[in-house]
Amino acid sequence: MKRRVAVMSPQTRLALAQRRPDRHDRPWRRPQLDPVAAERAVIFHRRQLARAVTALALLFALLFGLPLLLAMWPELDSVRLAGIPLSWLMLAVLPYPAMVALARWQLRRAEAVERPGAPE
Amino acid sequence: MIALLAVLPVVLATVLIGVRGVVAMRSTSDFLVASRRVSPLLNAAAVSGEYLSAASFLGVAGLVVKDGVGALWYPVGFTAGYIAMLVLVAAPMRRSGALTVPDFAEARLASAALRKLAAVVVLVIGLLYLVPQFRTTGLVLGVVSGAPYWVGVVLAGAVVSTTLALGGMRAATYVQAFQFCLKLVLFIVPAVWLVIVIGPDARHDAVHPVPYTVFERDTTVKFRVGATLDVATDTEARTEDGRAVLLPAGRRTLPPGTTLTFPAGAPVPQVHGKHPPGGAAWQRPLLDLQGAGHALFGTFAVLIATMLGTMGLPHVIVRFHTSPDGRAARRTAAITVALLGGFYLFPGVYGVLGRVVVPQLYLSGTTDTVVVALPGAVDGGPAGTAFTALLTAGAFAACFATSLGLLLVVSGALSHDLAPGTLRQLRVSVFGAAAVVVLLALPATRLDAGVLVTWGFTVAASTFCPLLVLGIWWSRLTRAGALAGVVVGLVATSAAIAATLFAPPPHGWLAIAVAQPAPWSVPLAFATMVAVSLRSEPPSWSTAAMLRLHLPIR
Repeated sequence: MKRRVAVMSPQTRLALAQRRPDRHDRPWRRPQLDPVAAERAVIFHRRQLARAVTALALLFALLFGLPLLLAMWPELDSVRLAGIPLSWLMLAVLPYPAMVALARWQLRRAEAVERPGAPE
Repeated sequence: MIALLAVLPVVLATVLIGVRGVVAMRSTSDFLVASRRVSPLLNAAAVSGEYLSAASFLGVAGLVVKDGVGALWYPVGFTAGYIAMLVLVAAPMRRSGALTVPDFAEARLASAALRKLAAVVVLVIGLLYLVPQFRTTGLVLGVVSGAPYWVGVVLAGAVVSTTLALGGMRAATYVQAFQFCLKLVLFIVPAVWLVIVIGPDARHDAVHPVPYTVFERDTTVKFRVGATLDVATDTEARTEDGRAVLLPAGRRTLPPGTTLTFPAGAPVPQVHGKHPPGGAAWQRPLLDLQGAGHALFGTFAVLIATMLGTMGLPHVIVRFHTSPDGRAARRTAAITVALLGGFYLFPGVYGVLGRVVVPQLYLSGTTDTVVVALPGAVDGGPAGTAFTALLTAGAFAACFATSLGLLLVVSGALSHDLAPGTLRQLRVSVFGAAAVVVLLALPATRLDAGVLVTWGFTVAASTFCPLLVLGIWWSRLTRAGALAGVVVGLVATSAAIAATLFAPPPHGWLAIAVAQPAPWSVPLAFATMVAVSLRSEPPSWSTAAMLRLHLPIR
């Protein structure tokens, strides 16, 4: 009977081969990058980090700003939209479309960095 | 009968899809991550299916009845976690090629000790998260069929471990995606039906809450878990067999299993230490944790824990490895935000309607059952029965889907990280882990699903979140730093949880800091990791190990 092996991407095979020094006869290989790849990776890392910080700042502004707003203006509880207190809607509905928009925006920006032909 | 109608299809579908997965299974890698060939949309549905647990399906609406509208901050944080995931973790984590967080810890830092420690953290998070799933199964089955609590708990353990041992994660991917669609439909359709049939008066009452101080009609309350009540004036009530009893004014403790019927017009006793639903504090859209009087701080504490905890949840992280590459993993996270956002528009509907229709659940402490109790209370006819069955099915789907993923990572941590093994050992550890959770869930009736699950998030936020974020973005992170940070985060959160469970409750700010330690434990873990790392020397390959994670394969 033939030996069955897992089908996996070359990347995965590489990663698996590096794992667990104590369990394979092969010694743990230190991660290596050739100078060209390393140079590219430095650029990717820097650009993605800058974008990540902006996106996180926006997320925190939304999530911590909204409770602050509701705490500072309790009058929002008595304003009603279609009979429902506006402050309830700002908590139960508003954050979701805002977060979907933020996720979409950040996804675009993160992918743009890695698109082939993007300025390096 | 209702219970049977509702539970059977879910159990059958879960097991069938599980069995189908066996056909294609070959290796440990197949079992754990379906050999990584899943599309972003399917994977996002699976992530959402796995993520929408009993806490989301039942717990949030229950917390709205009990604590107020501010409880809706929980799902906001649950969703925001995937943005943090998308921004910080998804793509690099996938590129690391590691299967689990312990794998990642070793791939990035080459430390066997850290791997074992991470596996221990996985066990802690897994147990905190699994116990409420099994507990909710027991409670819900009790509500719809009258079965004893333990029957549901044992059933949950048996179904989940069998499915998993048969099919593994490949099964889980299809089961989860199927269950997400199931849960979405089973949650939204009854909500719309309820809003329509409940009538204009109840709809008006739902958005114009008044404090729950007088029973509007004869009300039967089942105290499944026992309660401490503050009775304002002498109150007449009847027991199950029709005997009249007098609850004299003062503090009364009712044993579990008590059933009392209060006549219309009688004053409602208040649960000791709680505000009555519908009062001024209940209506505020902020989360006043522990009634400490610092609503804004309480809200921030929950948001920090849920948002940062998501990226460290081991059963969610492992799902991203079923994406073929980093880009697909990132897309999965983004789509998940949209799928969850759609679902989380609805727990609030159940919560505010539940306060109008079944506010007495707050007296018995089992507000987690509000979602399944609603249809029957609104419509005594076949329509109410049918919708109760649908929601019960959804609740079971929620418990099972989440438990599948969690049990997988727990048994993975046991047999893959703590004691490396074969596929067979992995299957054995699945049953072992399920048995432990069943034993822990049996005495846990009193603890709210939402609260227990949020503790899981808190542990994740204080341990794996700093490990992943610094591991991915900061090349100076060292083994010593990572170890110290994870230990500090784990000890801090465990101590706070133990204090909440066993120590007398403190007051004011301290009450929030103990009940929800994330605002101090997360910064503490980050600070420890950075400080210890700066005092030790990273190995020469450290920068390469980090940069590798940011290099897309073309």
